[in-house]
Order: sequence, then structure tokens, then C-alpha cells
Amino acid sequence: MLNVKKLHAGISGKEILKGVDLSISPGEIHAVMGRNGSGKSTLSNVITGKEGYVISKGDIEYKDESIVEWSPEKRALAGIFMSFQYPVVMPGVNNTYFLKAALNSKLKNNGKKELNAAEFLKLVKEKLNELDMDTSYLQRAVNEGFSGGEKKRNEILQMLTLEPELAIMDETDSGLDIDALKIIANGVNKYRNPSRSFLVITHYQRLLRYIKPDFVHVLIDGKFVRSGGKELALELEEKGYEWLEE
Amino acid sequence: MPDYFKSEFVKITDRKYFAKEANSVRTKAFDNFIQQGLPNKKDENWRFTDISSIKKGSFRISEKKDAPNADYNISGHELDSLKTAVFFNGHFQESLSTLPKRLRVISNQEYMEQNDWALSQPTKSSFDLLNTAFMDSGVSIIVDKSIQINEPIRLLFICSGDEKLMTSPRIHVDVGESSFLSLFEHHVGDCNEYFFNQSVIVNIERNGRLDHIRLQNNSESTINMGNLHVKQQEDSTYDFVQFAFGGKLGRTDVNIDLCEEGANCFVKGLSLSDHKQHLDVNVVTNHYAPNCISGQSFKSILKDNSSGVFNGRVIVHAGAQKTDSSQSNKNLLLSKDALMNSNPQLEIYADDVKCSHGSSTGALESDALFYIRSRGIDQETATALLVHGFASEIIEVLKNHDIKDLVITYFNSWLEQKN
Repeated sequence: MLNVKKLHAGISGKEILKGVDLSISPGEIHAVMGRNGSGKSTLSNVITGKEGYVISKGDIEYKDESIVEWSPEKRALAGIFMSFQYPVVMPGVNNTYFLKAALNSKLKNNGKKELNAAEFLKLVKEKLNELDMDTSYLQRAVNEGFSGGEKKRNEILQMLTLEPELAIMDETDSGLDIDALKIIANGVNKYRNPSRSFLVITHYQRLLRYIKPDFVHVLIDGKFVRSGGKELALELEEKGYEWLEE
Repeated sequence: MPDYFKSEFVKITDRKYFAKEANSVRTKAFDNFIQQGLPNKKDENWRFTDISSIKKGSFRISEKKDAPNADYNISGHELDSLKTAVFFNGHFQESLSTLPKRLRVISNQEYMEQNDWALSQPTKSSFDLLNTAFMDSGVSIIVDKSIQINEPIRLLFICSGDEKLMTSPRIHVDVGESSFLSLFEHHVGDCNEYFFNQSVIVNIERNGRLDHIRLQNNSESTINMGNLHVKQQEDSTYDFVQFAFGGKLGRTDVNIDLCEEGANCFVKGLSLSDHKQHLDVNVVTNHYAPNCISGQSFKSILKDNSSGVFNGRVIVHAGAQKTDSSQSNKNLLLSKDALMNSNPQLEIYADDVKCSHGSSTGALESDALFYIRSRGIDQETATALLVHGFASEIIEVLKNHDIKDLVITYFNSWLEQKN
């Protein structure tokens, strides 16, 4: 599904990713672990197409097509989604309106009939239930006045509604208490199926107790220094990152 | 000083529909105006306002022949469901107007006779003096004690024709004790070069309330100067919201005096400018009495080479203790060539007050754009979503659905316009 090939990328003239290879097949969950500054967010940003990043070498393929020249919206419509580490607050932009616009953009792109307000509301209420969110979310402005946990839940609500095939969870666990973490993990686990893949980016092993990865990669200074199964995450928890840093 | 002022002034004093007494009021104002001259850029409040189109222009006063035909239909200006007073090129059109009986509408002549011709002649700026010197028929709207007029009354100002006209509407609004009036100024017209200089003089008695909406949607060659003066008595409320969309040069001066305890005022506005438009908002709120609350909240969205000004002043005079005042100006630049001058000011001469102010000007946040696009929404739609979000705070204050729908329609077509 996703093939990152010998990727070198950076921002403001500084190289941050220094040759990353990552191959994710349908149905797999990959975790990328690393300290702050190791390049985790750069990796998620270049996959989703944030402006300002420069890819100097290598390629990113999604479903066998190079996507590095694609706009963020084209990538999203193709099925790539990111749950943001810091979801953006948008005063005056209604949450329902935003989510409905996103869903209808996708339906339209797929040649399907767009949903009217009533149809959309029915759909989104089911998703709200799954995440233990009440309908008051829908009346609010996007992320305005949301607590850290509410913002992350809102991200997952968007994921469940837009039904991406590749979901990137960028530090989804940061700023969450254990109850919120469980609700979110539960949402992700229910969403899992053999055709959907995840890239879970995290600093700590904590989230991986609830979202069990198939593969774990350790990112240090822009390179994967080790890859393994989920036991690698436990090893990291025990030993820290030092033993992998020369 | 442009010549046309003097020649037109001779003409205006020959007008028959005003009593002779008006001429002395006019002459006094005109003499003061000549003495004072038009503002120039050395004046702090006019530093960023280019009025060369007034100085270099040549306008004539509106005559009877500039009034509309008897079969003129106002439904082309939308909202004909609202009770409306029509002003066509400065002439009040009683036959086209529909006003509720509970409202007393009298001519300015009658009003000023009742007030010995002396009262309510603002002298704050040259444009006030000019309005007094040249005032057209206008009207005075009086809401007697304890009357609630909940449906908005529309004052429809139509600037029409290819003649270079100068009109000076004068509106007096007196809201009586414990009364309520909702007033909706609607500025429209397909005119060519045009100089519209209006004064609105408001007095709100004890416990009275005026909701005042001003929608300026003039043609792109119109100069619209709005001079507002509001005096508020004990426990009264003034709620003003302006939508300035049109005009070549649009400037609104709002002067509010909170004269007695417990008076509150909230003034808000949204300006949208494009091409070479210049839109200006100057608001002065004077706290003369204790325990008053005031708010100023203005936003501008600028495209192309357009420019704008926000000059906001809150003055808390000595003795106005327990004043609670807030002031905010936020501006969104959609073009690198657009220019906004924001100047929020606070002057406090009392020691037990709560005042806040703030200002921000910038482009759309790239993080927000990326966030929206990462959900599969194209850049153009993402921009529109954010601009709507920015404006919604002001648009949402509109309670009347017809007016709100009209504002949203104007707003959307402005946003969709390609340059």
C-alpha cells in the first residue's frame, strides 16, 4: 500500500530524513518510534504533502503510484489520512459543516452521491457513539475550546467518517489520559480490517499497549536504526533509546 | 478648497422645502467648514485616508429632477417585505415608503423647529459641518416612550444615475424612555461618481434600546461618508453592526457618548474590500459615567490593492469608575498588495476600570489550510471555509433572517469573485 523508498527530506535547507525505507501492506499496523527531533513528524508531513518540505532523494509510492507531486487534497482523496499531533483550531468554522464538506468531497471524487444534512447527521451520530462523544461536538467550531482529549477524539471521528485506507496517527497519545487513550485505541481497533493500514507515530510505548503493531521501527536522526515486531517496543520501554544510539 | 462647494452652497440656500431659519444654520456650518477646510494627512484621524476624490472631484447637489419617477419600484433592492423609508438621491420618498404608525416620522425642518434649530448640529469633523450646510430633506424618526418596534425599519438610500451628485442625508433618531427600535440602513445604487455624506444623530433615553444595522453596498465609484453621533442616557443600550462592502471610498465615523450610568454600547463591523477600494472605520466611545459597558469589535478582509483603516478609541473620563470596555480589531489580508492600518487606542482617566484591547493583521494560516486540505478539500474551498469562519462572528450577530441572508449572499458573491 505504502512504499517509502530511500527517502531524504528536509525543511528550510536542513535535511531531516536521511534515507528512510518503509513498506506497509494492506491490513498492517506499523509503529514508528523515536525521540523528539528524530524526524517522526517530518515523515508524516511528507507523506500527507505538507508544503515547505523538500524531498531531495527517494520516493513515496501509494498503491504503486508516486505521490510526491500530489497536493494534500489529492492524497487525502486517494485514501491517506493523518490524525494530527496538534489539530488546528478554526474559530467560526462549524465542525459538522467541515466534516460534511470533507465527506462529500470524497463521495463526489468517488463518483458517489453526496449526502444531504439529514443523511450526514445519521451517519455521524453512529460514529459519535463509538467514540463516546455527545452531539454537542457537532455544533461547535472545529477544535475551538476542545480539551486535548476532545481534539484527538475529533480526529478519530474524522477518520471513522472519511474511511481512509492508510491512517497515520501522529503522536495521537500525547496529552491524553488513560481513559481517553482507551476510547481512541478502541475506535482504531474497531476500524482495523484486512484492507486498512496504519502508521502509528509515537514517542512512548504506552499507546502500543492498546493498538498492537505488526512492525515497530526505531527512528534516530532521520534513519531507521532497527525494525522488528511488537516486542521491540517493549524492549525500548525497558532500555530507553540509548542502547540504539551509537 | 474645491470650488464646487461654494457654488453649490449658493444653490442650496435657495431651496424651498426648508424654512428660512435653516439658512442661518447652514451658513454658520458652511462658514465653519470653510475656515476648517477638509481634513488633511497631518490630522491623526485622517493620516491613512485619501480624500483626493472629494478634493479634486466636482459634484452638484441633487435637484428635484434627480428624484425618481412616480412608478419607481424598490423591489429591485431586495427585502421589500421590510417596512422601509426610501431616500432617492437624497430626497425622502414618502410615496415609496412604508412605515409603521407607531413610529413618528417628521421632517427635519419640523424636528429642528421643535429644537430651536440649535440642537444636534455636530461639529466634530468637516464632514459633519458639510452635512449641516448641505442637508437634504432627510427625516427624523421618533419613538415615543414605552414603544417596542421589533421588526427592523429599513432606511434605503439609493444613489442613482450618471450625474456626479453630492447628497447629504440627515437622519435624527430619538428613542424614548423604555422603548426599542431596530433600524437597518441599506445603501445601494448603480450610480457613477457620487459623493454621499450622511449624518445620523441618535439619542437614546433612559432604558431605551436601539439596534442599528448599516449595510453599505454602494457601487464601486461611490464615496460614502457616514457620520454617526450617539448619545445615551441611563441604562440605555446601543447595538451597532456595520457591513461595509461597497464604495470607492467608504468611511464611517461613529461617536458614542455614554452620558449616564448603566449605559451600554456594542459596535461591530465587517469590511470587505477589493480592487483599489478603501474602507475606513473610526470609532470613539466616550465613557462619561460610571458602570457602563462598551465593546468595539471590527474585522476587515482585504483583497487586491485595497486598503483599510481601523481607528478605535475608548476614552474613560475621570469619574467613569467601574467601566468595562473591550476593543478588538482583526484583519485578514488575502493579497500581498492589500494594506491595513489598525490603531486601537485606550485613554483612561479613572482608576477602577476593566479595559482590554487588541489587534491582529495577517494572512490565512498555512497550518489551517493544510489541515483542511488534508481532509480532501481543495485549496479554494479551504480558503473559503476559513474566510467564512473569520467573518462569521460578525455575521452571526444579525438576528433578522432576511437581513442575514442578504448579507451572506453579498459576502459569498464577493468571496467567489475572481480578480
